[in-house]
Amino acid sequence: MLEVRGLRAGYGAIEVLHGIDLDVAEGECVALIGANGAGKTTTLKTICGLLAPKAGTIRLRGREIGGLSGHAIVREGVTMCPEGRQVFPQMSVLKNLRMGAYARSDDGQADDLERMMDMFPILRERAHQAAGTLSGGEQEMLAIARALMARPKLCIFDEPSLGLAPKIVAEVAATLGRIREMGMTILLVEQNSLMALRLADRAYLLEAGEIVLEGTGQELQSHPDVAKAYLGH
Amino acid sequence: MIEILQQIVNGIAIGGVYVLIALGLTTVFGILGIAHFAHGSVSMFGGYLTFFLVAGQGIPLVIAIPVALTAGVVLGMAIELLAYRPVRKASHINAFIVALGLTMMVEGLNLEFFGHEQVVIPTSFDRVFNIGGVTLPELRLYVILAAALLIAAMTIFVERTKTGQAIRAVAENRDAAILMGVNVRTIPLVVFAMSTALGVAAGIMVGALFAIAPGIGEGLVIKGFAVLILGGLGSIPGAIVGGIVLGITESLAAGFVSSAYKDVIAFLVMIFVLLFRPQGLLGKAS
Repeated sequence: MLEVRGLRAGYGAIEVLHGIDLDVAEGECVALIGANGAGKTTTLKTICGLLAPKAGTIRLRGREIGGLSGHAIVREGVTMCPEGRQVFPQMSVLKNLRMGAYARSDDGQADDLERMMDMFPILRERAHQAAGTLSGGEQEMLAIARALMARPKLCIFDEPSLGLAPKIVAEVAATLGRIREMGMTILLVEQNSLMALRLADRAYLLEAGEIVLEGTGQELQSHPDVAKAYLGH
Repeated sequence: MIEILQQIVNGIAIGGVYVLIALGLTTVFGILGIAHFAHGSVSMFGGYLTFFLVAGQGIPLVIAIPVALTAGVVLGMAIELLAYRPVRKASHINAFIVALGLTMMVEGLNLEFFGHEQVVIPTSFDRVFNIGGVTLPELRLYVILAAALLIAAMTIFVERTKTGQAIRAVAENRDAAILMGVNVRTIPLVVFAMSTALGVAAGIMVGALFAIAPGIGEGLVIKGFAVLILGGLGSIPGAIVGGIVLGITESLAAGFVSSAYKDVIAFLVMIFVLLFRPQGLLGKAS
């Protein structure tokens, strides 16, 4: 599905990613873990077209999408549920969800809207409330549902558990698990490495802009370096 | 009592003009974060153009107005592409200077094309209605109705259409809007086309109700920004409420104090409101 080769990217003259190779197969859930500043968010931003790659290729189902602008990449089938939720605060929950389907022109949008509200009953309850008035956990659910409204081929989650209470984190993890069961292809970036590795079929460990480890979620959980540096045991 | 009602009706007409100006300014500000000072001069261009078509070329008003509005759409897109787009990623002071330069340029063009004479757009709406002692000139009634229609049309466009929702989304969170697939290069074009058309409509109203002359546009854009601040920056309902409030205040001040002091009193009211609501009447406290 997604095939990244030799990706270099950064901000201005500063290079953050020094040649990254990464694959996500259809229906697979892949996690990208690593410390702050390792380049996780930069990787995602470059895949989504918010940042232009300096070198390397990004292919989606064989089509080169590297260097396309952000809105064009959404139309190619990549949707990101961004860090910090980024809902439209003054728009209602319903309008936020409709914005999620902005790039679509098919007539299945109303059905999808119903499906999302069935999946997240709290969103139906709060449908006409301004999104900014929702709690952090509710906003995360809205951001996830809004991303799914795009019917993406690849759905990227950037730090979905960041800044949420432990109980809500468990809820987010369960939700991502359900989305995975639905067959969605997922690329997940998380500071909460344990949660990410439990969810993921495969995972990459990013350190200082390079992939230093790759394996199944299980393998990385039991890898001594990962366990010591990222899982705290 | 009749006198108060009379002044309120007068105030609604001029308030409607302020709303149209402020709606353009507020959407531009909301989406690009720039103070588009040239907006008043561009509105006056629309008024002058209508005058030129009607008085100079003998073209009927019903044809001249759509022509002027279309010219507004084209001019608005040209301003976005040629003046503001190149400085979009630069510091805000650059856009500020572009706005000032653009104001001088449009004022100069108005002078060059249409001269320095004060002009009034001729209309044949000479009847005067009397409703329970309140006199309502036909022209003023049409101005109120047209303003109401345009305000409603814009609100429906922003709230009910996909493009309108994309405009709101970009104003609220630009990066998130990109992630939804919104093309943030075309949205400013749409915003400037819409804003400038509304500004031209306001210019035509000023030209028919009062007069157009060099310098009027600058006064109008200052009123427009006053409305913006009064109503709350970037807020569409704020621009509507703020414009009507400013229009009625001015009109009451002119009727009961002195027309020479109407601007003073209007700005005093504005200062007073901001003392208690620094975020504006409908602005969100941040």
